[in-house]
Amino acid sequence: MSDKNCPTTSEITALINRETELLDDKKLAEWIALFSEKGTYWMPVAIDQADPLNHISIFYDDVLMMNVRKHNLKHARAPSKEVEIRSSRLTGNIRLLDFDAKTGNMTVKCNFQAVLYYNEQTLFAGQYIYKFIWTGEKYLIEQKKVNLINCDASHGTIITYI
Amino acid sequence: MTKTIEDIKKLVEPDRIHRSLYSDPELFALEQERIFESTWVYMGHESQVKENGDYMTLNIGRKPVIMVRGRDGNINVLHNQCTHRGAKVAGKKCGNARAFRCCYHGWTFKTDGTLIGVPHKGGYEETHFDIKDPKFSLKVVRSQSYRGFIFANLSSKGADLKEFLGDAASSIDNMIERSPGGDLEITGGVLRYRHNCNWKFFVDNLNDTMHPMVTHQSVGDACQSYIDELPKDTPPTREMDIVAPFGSSYENFDMMGVSVGPKGHAFTGGTDSIHSNYMEVDGYIEAMHKSYGEEKTKEILCVNRHNTIYYPSLTIKGAIQSIRIIRPISVNETEIETWTFRLKGAPDDMLHRTMLYSRLINSPSSMVGSDDLEAYTRLSEGLMSGGSEWVDMSRFIGREERPDGNMTRAIGTSDISLRNQYAAWLGYMTDVPQQEEL
Ligand SMILES: [Fe+2]
Repeated sequence: MSDKNCPTTSEITALINRETELLDDKKLAEWIALFSEKGTYWMPVAIDQADPLNHISIFYDDVLMMNVRKHNLKHARAPSKEVEIRSSRLTGNIRLLDFDAKTGNMTVKCNFQAVLYYNEQTLFAGQYIYKFIWTGEKYLIEQKKVNLINCDASHGTIITYI
Repeated sequence: MTKTIEDIKKLVEPDRIHRSLYSDPELFALEQERIFESTWVYMGHESQVKENGDYMTLNIGRKPVIMVRGRDGNINVLHNQCTHRGAKVAGKKCGNARAFRCCYHGWTFKTDGTLIGVPHKGGYEETHFDIKDPKFSLKVVRSQSYRGFIFANLSSKGADLKEFLGDAASSIDNMIERSPGGDLEITGGVLRYRHNCNWKFFVDNLNDTMHPMVTHQSVGDACQSYIDELPKDTPPTREMDIVAPFGSSYENFDMMGVSVGPKGHAFTGGTDSIHSNYMEVDGYIEAMHKSYGEEKTKEILCVNRHNTIYYPSLTIKGAIQSIRIIRPISVNETEIETWTFRLKGAPDDMLHRTMLYSRLINSPSSMVGSDDLEAYTRLSEGLMSGGSEWVDMSRFIGREERPDGNMTRAIGTSDISLRNQYAAWLGYMTDVPQQEEL
């Protein structure tokens, strides 16, 4: 098997745009399908937090929890979900941190700003770090890590994935 | 407007309280003074200040304090206020200090509070200032430890901590005993969850077993919907273990029972709680058997409580080893901190389970906590209406209750913990000896 070519910047950008667009559009089922079977969504609570298991996090969801949230978000009797959630995510400064030509796997980092509106407008900002794995046909997300610049602040309800 | 004792007494009746308790800024200020600044308030666990010089800055009510392990290894709680002009001498949330040096004029205090240095010494001749005069030391707050749990009390009067905790201390005992090594350690950081509501809504809810079926129905259903999507033979998961019981039936909650004690303390659960049917963690029972033997292990793990509230500042989940601290900020703003204990001698997986629990239930991202907070927000807004002046807490009053040590045991869905809390609240708010002297 020949080595995988390194994806171009525009290919990487397309992957990120697709992921954030599905969140903006609240298409959770399709969003979950972007993750690998062992995929995780991680939002640490501390700066430079290395460990999701022995340290508390704001989010550390596997695909199972993503699916439970998917059902919860659209449940008619979830009081906190009665308001419509609107959001807009912007990413930029995309850089490839790591690419393994043997497997095709890569780690990508970008800056983001996400504006969420539910009850009131809230701004989140920081970096996304994606670990993508190459299946031979497409990239799946092994992990999306969301480093908030104010991760250790006292947050109100964070109603959905950022 | 100043509320008299008589005014306050009119706000709390045996089975209902007035809506202003949650919204009146004057009552909030009085609560700070007469409750938080007059009783035992939780500071932290001794494992958070392991080394000499380790400190944390906190508040008791509105008053900034420092909890610090001194040179002699003893833990002190000091007023965080320079005796010169009054600035806070410690600014960081936590750290290690040989001494505290005020950032303004450099007055320097030892970790036991003693003033040891004042720059540019001359100039105080024939003034009231004397570096050796103890009144220029950081004032020490009365603090005591219950098995490593440090509490402080700004009032020098009143009961010792042990007496204050009463029989409700057994929930702390049980959490410690659940450790094969007989000891606990705070680990893995803190979650801070900002609640835009009065602190009492959060406390009221801790032993409110009539709300999960309604408020958390969506979470139970969401779990079920997901399970229905899975192949039939999919093994159960720990996530489901934790989240699904929040949709438990009323009958289940009735059976769990609730105990209330003096000073507003209470816990739900006894031998059963929403935590009692968790799947086992590999190696934990074995470690417990090794430390305690089978009989005693059974006895320890039989105690299965949900929330224990040490009114007004601390709530613990012994069976889960997570605790939450209640920090009122203003009449409609409260910060809830979640901390985690490691059971010494237990497999790491026990800690992983606690972290999972806290993420799923107590994080700002929680599907459970966010619906609770939504309910508190609607309570805050609803109670601004004068459509109904009173908040009802009459369920099972005087029924299905029996004495149990210095506590009272009742059916799980009784409002007894609310009645008990507000009896304590009224006691604190109207027990103002200095006013009698006037
Ligand atoms: Fe709840």
